Amino acid sequence: MSMSSVHLVIDTATAYLYIALFDSENKLIEEVYEEGNNDHSVKLMKRLKQCFSKHDLKPSQIAKITVGIGPGSYTGVRVGVVVAKMLAWTLEVPIFKVSSLALLASGADQTGHVLAWMDARRGNGFYGRYEVSEDSVQIVDADKYGEMARVREKYNYDFELVMAKPRVIKVLKSELVERVENVHELSPVYLRETEAEQALKDQ
Amino acid sequence: MIVLGVESSCDETSVALSKDGKVILSNVVLSQMELHAMFGGVVPEIASREHIKGITAVFEEAIKLAGVSVDQIDLVAVTQGPGLIGSLLTGINAAKAFAFAHDIAVVGVHHIAGHIYANQIESEMQFPLLCLVVSGGHTELVLMNRHFQFEKLGETLDDAVGEAYDKVARVLDLGYPGGPKVDALARRGKLTYPMPKIDLGEGYDFSYSGLKSHVINTLNTLKMKGETVRIEDMCASFQASAVEQLMIKSRRAFDAVGAKQFVVAGGVAANAHLRDRVSDVFSDVEVLVPPLKYCTDNAAMISIAGYYQYRFGNIDENDDFNGYPRMHLERK
Repeated sequence: MSMSSVHLVIDTATAYLYIALFDSENKLIEEVYEEGNNDHSVKLMKRLKQCFSKHDLKPSQIAKITVGIGPGSYTGVRVGVVVAKMLAWTLEVPIFKVSSLALLASGADQTGHVLAWMDARRGNGFYGRYEVSEDSVQIVDADKYGEMARVREKYNYDFELVMAKPRVIKVLKSELVERVENVHELSPVYLRETEAEQALKDQ
Repeated sequence: MIVLGVESSCDETSVALSKDGKVILSNVVLSQMELHAMFGGVVPEIASREHIKGITAVFEEAIKLAGVSVDQIDLVAVTQGPGLIGSLLTGINAAKAFAFAHDIAVVGVHHIAGHIYANQIESEMQFPLLCLVVSGGHTELVLMNRHFQFEKLGETLDDAVGEAYDKVARVLDLGYPGGPKVDALARRGKLTYPMPKIDLGEGYDFSYSGLKSHVINTLNTLKMKGETVRIEDMCASFQASAVEQLMIKSRRAFDAVGAKQFVVAGGVAANAHLRDRVSDVFSDVEVLVPPLKYCTDNAAMISIAGYYQYRFGNIDENDDFNGYPRMHLERK
């Protein structure tokens, strides 16, 4: 099987490696959701190549890229963002960014107001509040970093989600996906300064 | 053969293109040095964040300056290690993605192999050669009998020589990076402060933690006595001792193995006193010292090393390679 062009989706901000390929009719033709072992840096390119060769695709057939830009694991998210950024720049194709927490929220089995979060150690997390419906995901409040015990107390929500395979179609249809105008400026969203920067400010 | 090199092992994002292992077509280096200076040293997470910000722009500029089209590039060579892991992974994944997009082979190059091959740019390496590798992370003597065959004869047992320079600079409040500052101040100093004799016997290993501690202890003693430290003299005394250790071991190893050339590589190869001493101690043999602009981290040296690795080295591994913070040179 061969097709004219594909839309590539990548997210590596969580413990899971996520890759999706859509054909020119927006039909999902390939999806990888694989638990990593701190090895996204080796697995991403390997799986990407396997996906392309399985469908007899060439990288030049990539017409569009969407990438999860975090928040999440700093090293993890950089792997996906640098690969997506490089491919978009060198193949000269449009690139879109989306919150990795929105992708996580889209994986919810239920509908309603979800608190999607990822562990950021010492009781803290990166969290986002989203409204998940049958066919879409809407943002309730911007992604933040905070102490999860307090976040749970502060907000009302229907359920929590820390791990789920994205239902990426829901996200791609939403307004959460944003076009990156200048690919050179694309960077992950970390939500936190580095410890060194914080220490310098605290002085 | 055109090779695109990528270097991101520490705080420099660099991309270079070279032709036939010799001609540098472009060498773009985006340095983060000023950013890290305010923290007194390289902050790994900041370095990683800066690499990903700048990487595609550096690729673009390097390819543009080289005046080649992407389909003329035959090989991508990227620093695989050793170095800061987050920094390495950004460069490696950028290189692999670029290579994948254009169906180009990619090789992972040892950072020190890059430093050694910086000497091939304006000179011709001749074997067997003995190479003294000196940088912030390395102090070692490497014997090469042919291209891309490395045999480590000795190395530091504790601190690298560049690391000792940086630590001495720090206790003297000279700022970061301290090596070049110590070197410059030492030019105006006298050898008035006694330094310990570091004798590690007949082997080719080095040690710098004793010398570093001695400087720190001397400074503390002077401070307690209320005496002023003559910074230039302290730098000169420390530097003379640090470099002498390098020279003694290098000359001994050179004579023992009967090498044809003595080669210096790494960031400390830019040190003026070291360059002077090398031309004295090795006045009777052919010496290669890299041009100053290729002493610090750059992708030109990685692209040259990549060319020779592709031709003569071990390339049977597939391109699923990872980055490694520590890595043996001999493995390549």
